[in-house]
Amino acid sequence: MPMQRPLSPFMFPTWYRFQITSALSILHRLTGIALAVGSILLTWWLVAVAAGGELFAVTHAFIRSPVGRVLLFLWSVAFFYHLCNGIRHLAWDAGYGFELRSAYRGGYIVIAVALLLTVLAWAYVLLA
Amino acid sequence: MSDNRSLSNSTALRDGSVLRRVRHLGSARDGLREWRLQRLTALALIPLGLYFTASLLRLATSDRLTAAEWLSSPVPALLVILFLLAGLAHMLIGLRSVFLDYVHSRARLLAAGLLVRAATAVLMGASVLAVLKLFLGR
Repeated sequence: MPMQRPLSPFMFPTWYRFQITSALSILHRLTGIALAVGSILLTWWLVAVAAGGELFAVTHAFIRSPVGRVLLFLWSVAFFYHLCNGIRHLAWDAGYGFELRSAYRGGYIVIAVALLLTVLAWAYVLLA
Repeated sequence: MSDNRSLSNSTALRDGSVLRRVRHLGSARDGLREWRLQRLTALALIPLGLYFTASLLRLATSDRLTAAEWLSSPVPALLVILFLLAGLAHMLIGLRSVFLDYVHSRARLLAAGLLVRAATAVLMGASVLAVLKLFLGR
């Protein structure tokens, strides 16, 4: 029996390899969505700080819990990545960096800087 | 392009002439305003987002007094409000692009867009109110 034609999204990674261009592009979208969902929690936290009392106690306990800390960490990673790749997008909007070599180089820089910012931010949080 | 210079230097004298030329381009003939707002909020969010994230990471694990104190001072309150407005507007425009790609009927697209717009309005209102309450209540 002939094999089914591979169709998106099942082309990745067996039939069509990820490249840094496509991977970072979908990651930009995914982190954007993650940050959008995170904005709900952010608003919740602000409202809790303003309201005080029981609401804040519950929210605070959740953030200090292991789940809360992991979520906060993941949010920060998403934020720093989306920020760095966003600047890469702005450079493209201005007309810079369309050659394939520049796109690849920019991609590696984005990953490096995003990781660096995450490390710096959490070092600041945990040590200062 | 044969060189890496930005296009804008050689093709525009004033922003108005560029705008008149590029308005209504593209298959939808619409969306320039959102495109520009997206880039504008993106630029604003570089400093605002860094400031907010650094502060948030520092304060989210502290007790209420530190976070509430911080938000009741004028400069943090102002910057947080600006961050919220720019960030939520940026989010709204970004999510519309996502919906355009994955929602295939016009009715569902409109419904999704309205839903997200309503949710964003609530989030914007609630978060700004919270900061104002802390700032005005000092």
